[in-house]
Amino acid sequence: MPLIAIQNVTVAYGKPLRPVLGAVGAGINLDIREGDFVCLLGQTGCGKSTMLRLVLGSERPATGRVLIDGVEHNRPDRTRGYVPQKYSLFPDRTVLDNIAFGPVVSEFNLATRWTPGYFRRRREVRDQAMDYIRRIGLRESDAGKYPDQLSGGMQQRVAIAQALIMQPRILLMDEAFSALDPGTRREMQQLIRQLWADTGITVLFVTHNMQEAAFLASRVVVLAKEDPESGSQVALDVAPPARLTDSAAMEFHARLEAACSGIREAEEMAA
Amino acid sequence: MHLFAVNAKPNATASLVLSWLLFAGGIVAYFQVSRDRHKDNPEDRVMPTVAQMVQGMSDAVLKPAEEDEALPEAATLSQKLKGSMLWKDTVATSRRFAISMALLVPAVLLGLHMGLFPYCGAFFLRFLLFFDKIVALSLLPILFIAFGIDELSKIMLIVIGVAPTVVLDVYNLTKGIPQEQVVKAFTLGAGDFDIAYTVVLKQILPRVLNSIRLNLKAVMLFLFAGEMIASTDGLAYRIALLRRHMGMDVIIPYVLWVALLLFVVDLAMRVVNRQLHPWFREA
Repeated sequence: MPLIAIQNVTVAYGKPLRPVLGAVGAGINLDIREGDFVCLLGQTGCGKSTMLRLVLGSERPATGRVLIDGVEHNRPDRTRGYVPQKYSLFPDRTVLDNIAFGPVVSEFNLATRWTPGYFRRRREVRDQAMDYIRRIGLRESDAGKYPDQLSGGMQQRVAIAQALIMQPRILLMDEAFSALDPGTRREMQQLIRQLWADTGITVLFVTHNMQEAAFLASRVVVLAKEDPESGSQVALDVAPPARLTDSAAMEFHARLEAACSGIREAEEMAA
Repeated sequence: MHLFAVNAKPNATASLVLSWLLFAGGIVAYFQVSRDRHKDNPEDRVMPTVAQMVQGMSDAVLKPAEEDEALPEAATLSQKLKGSMLWKDTVATSRRFAISMALLVPAVLLGLHMGLFPYCGAFFLRFLLFFDKIVALSLLPILFIAFGIDELSKIMLIVIGVAPTVVLDVYNLTKGIPQEQVVKAFTLGAGDFDIAYTVVLKQILPRVLNSIRLNLKAVMLFLFAGEMIASTDGLAYRIALLRRHMGMDVIIPYVLWVALLLFVVDLAMRVVNRQLHPWFREA
């Protein structure tokens, strides 16, 4: 059984309804296995983030079902970690408290947050959070900083640690590196790739950057529209070859280029 | 030196002098006009001299109000201060002010819940938008009839006058929290009330305090209106009473005293806000 099963899903917005994902009688189907690193590619407005929100549970499909381990979830919960492009950190908390937020808040409710057990557990969680700070490549002295004292790359590192400390089964990343400069972006790609390899977590990574998808993913899914008025469909679902030097790699890139031609045109127009 | 140059950079001395110039000008102009009026009419009561104001204020600070019993001759300075008219009025007004401020706490919580919980917002928003447009002072007769002329009606006037503004302000601040933060908190195991109180309220609190600071004058305005119309003590009651006797030698220091009190409350709230929320950068 796949970990994430998207079954015959359609999403439409507005009045009159404008299809975003799938179409009546032709919903989107996608299965994601445990341990996959899936990059969701597509041009702006094709429904990548909508697809991610469906998996997250913050949005419901018009038709069809999204199953996590065979169960429908109608709101986000701790089984799925989330790293958005921005606003991922709580500005009123230090780096350490941002990372320690999840374990503390999930174990103690508002009434039990004054018990001795809470303070004991909080100390343990903060120690654990310090380990994560080191693991994501930040200095211990950064622990007391507030998010607005960090660079964009450092903020996203903290956001990843904040999600990973909860040990979710699925990590959902919505254009998480889009706002970073190329050098930092490359570092972050290596970091997330390493963390994926270490933890075996299932990652659904939304991006509109082909190189990023090819570098990160164990599987690339391209969403595309046949015409501007229709909802997106899965145009390509392919695993990058293990070695990028052989003919399979060339074929992979050719298929990716063909499926992403719309993205390329849009990027060129934007440039 | 170009006074209206956008990129001008006044030095520290110039800034200091400029910032006090209007105060100095106002004081000098007042005493000049006061002196001239007293030359023409030594009995003038409209613009008291410094000596008259000092005398009036020292009586207010050291002597009881006319309606109270006189203090014994042997009273200590502390007893004189505590039994004085100014002390009595300040305590009465401060008590009403403090109760009114405390009653704004539920208003903050209501705004938070309205902004975060859609059913709560749907229930209250339209009514509060309408209620906010009612001129609170026009309700004063209704309040006096409904609640009598005691403390309750005055406090209700302040709450009705200021609370809807605070509720709507907090509602907008809550709505302004990025949805990503709420979703993220859910994914970190937070429940609905965790999000309300440990994520959203903590983030908007410095702005809420600023909003209340900006409404301090409105709180005082409604408090003064209530005290002037129906009260037997309080700073505004005294000002209204002295107006009948043209007691400008006390009215002017009282007005300055009220301004000073508000300034101190405002300053204290700013300091507390800065201490409690070191992460907050004011726009």
